[in-house]
Parts: sequence; structure tokens; C-alpha cells
Amino acid sequence: MKITMVKKIFADGSPCKKCGEVEEKMRLAGQLERIDQTVVADESNPESEGMVLAAEHGIDRAPFFVVERDGEPTQIYTVYFKFVKEVLDAETSEEDEIAEIMNDVDLDFL
Amino acid sequence: MSSITNIVDIDSELATQSPQEILRYALENFDNIAISFSGAEDVVLIDMAYKIRKDIQVFSLDTGRLHAQTYRFIEAVRNHYDIKIDLVMPEAAKVEKLVKEKGLFSFYQDDHKECCGVRKIAPLRKQLLTVDAWITGQRKDQSPGTRAAVPAMQDDKAFARPDDSLTKFNPLANWTSKQVWDYIRQNNVPYNELHDEGYVSIGCEPCTRPTGPGQHEREGRWWWEEATMKECGLHAVNISK
Repeated sequence: MKITMVKKIFADGSPCKKCGEVEEKMRLAGQLERIDQTVVADESNPESEGMVLAAEHGIDRAPFFVVERDGEPTQIYTVYFKFVKEVLDAETSEEDEIAEIMNDVDLDFL
Repeated sequence: MSSITNIVDIDSELATQSPQEILRYALENFDNIAISFSGAEDVVLIDMAYKIRKDIQVFSLDTGRLHAQTYRFIEAVRNHYDIKIDLVMPEAAKVEKLVKEKGLFSFYQDDHKECCGVRKIAPLRKQLLTVDAWITGQRKDQSPGTRAAVPAMQDDKAFARPDDSLTKFNPLANWTSKQVWDYIRQNNVPYNELHDEGYVSIGCEPCTRPTGPGQHEREGRWWWEEATMKECGLHAVNISK
């Protein structure tokens, strides 16, 4: 299995806050060791490795994880807690999961 | 149905179709599917769906903080269509803990996320574990900054059951507010009386206010929070497929 983490850099060169938070969380949990490579999606450079991967898989958010297993279709995870649970077999708390959803979902339609 | 390729292909096809055609596709392809009804103008979904299938499942998130007018409206819709509307409520212990620790209006000091997490997201997650697909009233014009790309159909990874898929339909994605209101008027669809008082987007009472001429509807929600750039989006103006 090969895991690639894609994190974003804004067009003005500043780092993506959520990508940093996820990376720190993974570092504290010892999960970064499970990541085979980290690539950058640089919004100012469509040829950057992360932007090319995003285009290839139709992904419009970051961070995201590309999971490749021999003989199986490539899987993409845009939701961190899903990735942690389903790929790394690790536990996450309901509070953390809800907090992640809150960051990604506009709630005015509910 | 659940493969990403299929969903993208079907979405491309549905994207050019009317809300009614999208709804028909959704209701004919999923038995266990529910409409999420906010108690606002998304009532058009109920009207359209009811004309396709009488046994529609509808749920509303009852946060405990809705306007009295919204509760009356939900009841009026229930009676008008003679349908069941499941009111999905937050876990009492979690609400009690939040209120005990931070009071009833903590969202004005912090932000709305903690309260919405307890009162909306947690109950919504629980509800969505019971269905294979859901239907929302999301439209592109509700939030041009963050919702410009809302598809007609999508693979909902955030709320899907573990190792399973959940399909989300947004039949009104390409409609404007005016089209929604034209439909309401032309079809005599009941609507929330708050709309006559200047409310456009309607949510919980403390977090919703009427908007004035020229204001975007989002300015009536969580107005004390600074509008910030969505951190998660890849602003892919330059992404070429």
C-alpha cells in the first residue's frame, strides 16, 4: 500500500490552515510515519504535483489522501477521520469528527 | 450506482435537467431516501417530490431554537400534504452540557460551530446513518463564494456509513431564489410566514435576521462572524482535467 498526502499552499504562498492542523494531529498520533509521501498542491502552479493529482481525481479540497493498493482501484479520501478509520485502523472521537464536518459544510440549508 | 465514476457521469447528465427530473431520478433509484427540510423555501422539494411519490420520507432538524413561526410552518406542511415529518432532535445530555458550561448564547462570543455541532451535525449524522440517499435544497446562489460548484448529485463522504456510501441530491442547485419563489407562487405552495417579514434564509432564531434591499441572503445568518475564506477548498481556477 502506498499513501500520498496532498496539502495545499494558497496562491499567495501562505499555507493552508486545515492542512497544517491535520498534519500536526497526525504527527502527534504517530500517523505521519504511515504516509509514504507528501506532495503540495500549489494554487499558483497548476503543474505542481498536488494540483495535478487533484485534477486527475476530480478533487476540489485539501488536504486529501491518495491510497494505492496492488491490484485495486486507487482510493481518495478527502475526509480525514474516514481516512484514519478506514486506512490506518485508528480511533477518532465523535467530537473531532463533528468538528471536521463543521469545517467543510455550510449549514444554512439545514 | 455507488462508484465515483458513475456518480460523476450521472451528475453531468442531471446537471442540465430540471429539479423535478432530478428528483424523479433520485426517487426512482433509491427506496430509502429522505428529504432534509429546513422549514424555509426548500418546501418546494416536498411539493415536487409529493407529485412524484406520495410516500416520501421527510425530516427536519429541530434544534430547539427555531422560530415559533417555523414550528407552525412545519406543522402546516405536515397537514397540507398529509405526510409524516420526522423531527430530529439533539441529544439532551449534550445540549445540557453545552448550556451548563457556556450558557444559552455562547455562539455570539465564540462562533456558531460548537452549538451547530451539537444541535445540527450530531443529530444529522445519526439520521443519515439510516438512509442510502438524501435530498437537500442547496442552491449555488445561496453562497456564491462557497457553493458555486454544488452538484446535482454527489457522493457524500462526510456523512456516509463506515465503509459504505451515501448519495446526496441537490435538485435546486441550478435554480435561483427567484425561480424557487415563482414556483411557490404558481403552485400555491405553503411557505414560512417569516419570509413576509423580510427573512430570506431561515435557521435558528438567535442566528437569523431579516435582510434589507441589496443584501445577500447569507448576511442574515451568523452576521457577527467575519466572512472568511474557506480553508478546505482547492481554488482550482487553473486545474485542467
